[in-house]
Amino acid sequence: MSRADPGSFRDPASRVILDEGRVLRLLDERGLAGWNALTAASFYERATADGRLIRTQVSDVVRDGWAAVLEHPLVPFISYPYEWTFSMLRDAALLQLDLLAEALAEGVTMKDATPFNIQFVDGRPVFIDIGSFEAYQQGEAWIGYRQFTRQFLFPLLLRAWAGVPFQPWLRGDMEGPTAADMRRLLTWSQRLRPAAMLHVSLQARMEQRMSGAAVREGLRSAGFGSELILANVRKLKALIEGLEWSGENGSWIQYGGCDHVGRDREAKGAFLQMALEAHSPRRVLDLGANDCHFSELAHRFGAVAVAVDGDEPVLDALYRRGSPVSLALSDLTNPSPAQGWAGIERPGLLERAAPDLVVAYGVIHHLIYTASIPPPSVLDWLAGLGCPVVLEFVAPEDEMVAKLTANKTESELHEGRTRAEFQRLVDERWQTLATHDLAGGTRTLYSLAPRPV
Amino acid sequence: MIFGYLDAGSGSLILQAILGGAAGILVAFKAWKARLTGKRAIAEPQPDQDEPLTTES
Repeated sequence: MSRADPGSFRDPASRVILDEGRVLRLLDERGLAGWNALTAASFYERATADGRLIRTQVSDVVRDGWAAVLEHPLVPFISYPYEWTFSMLRDAALLQLDLLAEALAEGVTMKDATPFNIQFVDGRPVFIDIGSFEAYQQGEAWIGYRQFTRQFLFPLLLRAWAGVPFQPWLRGDMEGPTAADMRRLLTWSQRLRPAAMLHVSLQARMEQRMSGAAVREGLRSAGFGSELILANVRKLKALIEGLEWSGENGSWIQYGGCDHVGRDREAKGAFLQMALEAHSPRRVLDLGANDCHFSELAHRFGAVAVAVDGDEPVLDALYRRGSPVSLALSDLTNPSPAQGWAGIERPGLLERAAPDLVVAYGVIHHLIYTASIPPPSVLDWLAGLGCPVVLEFVAPEDEMVAKLTANKTESELHEGRTRAEFQRLVDERWQTLATHDLAGGTRTLYSLAPRPV
Repeated sequence: MIFGYLDAGSGSLILQAILGGAAGILVAFKAWKARLTGKRAIAEPQPDQDEPLTTES
């Protein structure tokens, strides 16, 4: 059975469908012409060989009404820019610019410029929308420039210049801030920077003055050429390479130095290894992954490991050190929902993660004590993922719980926090396969499986 | 013409000529002027615009 990718519908020349685990790209005559232009250029082989472009082959599948069918490997985990860290979005922006520059040098251009065309595989950005390439016609401007500024440049400027996280904006408005929005967000001194004057203020002004005007023919007859796009791309690249965000002040970046973390790490690793061997999961979802020690263990085991954490400095540091796990920046109390056109264009985080095993080490007590989520609700949520779970229970007597509840009274806390109550809640939802009491005496590991139907 | 499913934004298209550097500024000016000329051409009635259409027999 095949189904259309819910996020692939805007470009009528190229559609992606999923067919029995295969990723097929259907091309109409226009799309086929673009594919031919791409494969005739030498950069195509180079960018595919070095992993910047997704591998593509002409498929043996034939579809009525389409000129050609291409096939791509399945991307292990799809993430969206509102789940990326600063460095991830910056590298994605540089990849977009590099590919465009290399394409233009050989008479090929790209019809859009959105981070949704880029995915992270083994810790590196990969451009996945082969349908974005087409032959360049002399005189045409870069159609994707405005989109590039809204979805790459402005979010990066928000973080690097204003210190404001871009992810909530991109999650709320996937098109990204407009130049007019961006202008209002910058201070007067920031607006005086050359890049802001051109890409933000001047673009906002010209968009307002020329809304709806037909200018493409005028540009062509005025002598516009790809060398002007290339000059713009080079300057954008230099601008973005110079953007920096230092996230060292993240609240959890020192977590690995906590006493209990070092003390328990070996035991928790061995317990997870046992679960990995018992279930042989293809996909592991690590909730509250922090430094991804356990996600990387799952990755070494051969699973696709998806590490979710809400702390950007921690995930950004992991990305920069080249961690091969799939990173997703998201607050567990508010994971990315399904959204976009018809409410399904961009599926929710947990639907995309589709785990065969969930790891919830060192996280449940934060949901219960910091986010004030009732323990039964936390466990219902985990059980609802429908797969085995390895979790860490932290008793009320634990020193970390004491810190988390230092300013709370007993009446402000939910029931179900003691070991006995927790055990009852677990028994109501799962079959316990194994438990292990950690050395400090206040923490217990559980290996749980859904009850047989 | 390149097939554009994306709305590129008129102002953002012209801006690209300016962003291309010194050579592009002249291109932007010409494109801007062409747009103004084009607008005037539409606004000013053509001499034969109000004459009845005739067909040759």
